Amino acid sequence: MDSRTAAPSSVDVLIEAVGRGSPVALKRLYDVESRRLYGIALRIARRPEIAADVLQEAFLQIWQNAATFSAERGAGAAWLTGVVRFRALDAVRKVGRETLSDDPALGDEALEPDVIEKLDAVAQTAALRRCLTLLEDEQRRCILLAFVDGLSHSQIAERIKAPLGSVKSWIRRGLHSLRRCLQ
Amino acid sequence: MMIPDDRDELHALAGEFVLGVLEANEASEVAAALATNAELRRAVAFWEVQLHPLSELTSPAEPPPGTWQAIEARITKPAPKPVAPSFWNNLALWRWSTAGFAAAAGLALWIALTPAPGPSFVAVLHPPQQDQVSWVATAGRYGLLVRAVAGATPPSDRAFELWAIPPGATRPRSLGVIPADGELKLAPLPPDLRDGATLAISIEPVGGSPTHQPTGPVVFVGTVQAV
Repeated sequence: MDSRTAAPSSVDVLIEAVGRGSPVALKRLYDVESRRLYGIALRIARRPEIAADVLQEAFLQIWQNAATFSAERGAGAAWLTGVVRFRALDAVRKVGRETLSDDPALGDEALEPDVIEKLDAVAQTAALRRCLTLLEDEQRRCILLAFVDGLSHSQIAERIKAPLGSVKSWIRRGLHSLRRCLQ
Repeated sequence: MMIPDDRDELHALAGEFVLGVLEANEASEVAAALATNAELRRAVAFWEVQLHPLSELTSPAEPPPGTWQAIEARITKPAPKPVAPSFWNNLALWRWSTAGFAAAAGLALWIALTPAPGPSFVAVLHPPQQDQVSWVATAGRYGLLVRAVAGATPPSDRAFELWAIPPGATRPRSLGVIPADGELKLAPLPPDLRDGATLAISIEPVGGSPTHQPTGPVVFVGTVQAV
């Protein structure tokens, strides 16, 4: 998938060791990645008890599946993020998504138009950043709300007070443009 | 919702899936289609990798105390007990291996997301009463591949032999002795390999069991899942 993985990161190496059944490597991976991954789970699930469950289930899945982790596929960190986001989205779909007011205690930060400036200017991120700036404002805002907050179409519509149909089409057209730009 | 044939539409749908904007029923439909649609798998993998930098926009947070301990408790199981000879006659014992179902389901998703050609069956083998993944078997139209992932080696002067028990059957059928490099390839796909079948590895004399039934202890076991 991703040919830019000539030098595996320490996370990739740890995942490989977890795949060989090393509980020590799993603990080390937890030490290195749990704050980042819990932040993602909490942002999407909104409730600490659900986010903690998500993190626990995600690490069990990582323990069980790391053996088949293929470094060729891309960065291990992206895999970990994918596992946690998938679990978190699944959890909120199960309990029914709630529209919660922004609560600073839950790490909410308003997604300002210049939020993408916060992205590190590393090589891979630079392309995404450049491509995001080419999107229309509404397209970019909806895509960020979806990824970062894990909001569904209808929740985004509610949050930004826009018609559902417009939100769906902004996201869809934004994804089309992003893909053309990123390829 | 239908999975679109049009390439652009398919990639947009994959993007919506990765973003998480789909409603539960739509998301399940996409997840189910991953198993059979290679283009969709590629599209989902593309978006996972490309959008990953956006996760930097989320502030890290300290997990509640005790989270690691809870994980550790679930990956650490008591040491395996010796397997009695009657093991093979007591199929109820196989049931413990369904504990690996969640693992296999998660693995199925991972394999589904890995670029084609994807296998259509997968089994994760671990020691009885332990969750440690030791062997991974993948199977599809091309045949069966069983590979050691934990560097297991048989005792000296012994060999690992692979067995399959189709759902409902009572007697294992040999799939062959696993070569010393820990990798066994079989083509075409053995007919006993299907959803719900059990795979097991026993310790046998070099060259395989002389009786065509297992004679040594069962050291790894797992359930075949369709993906």
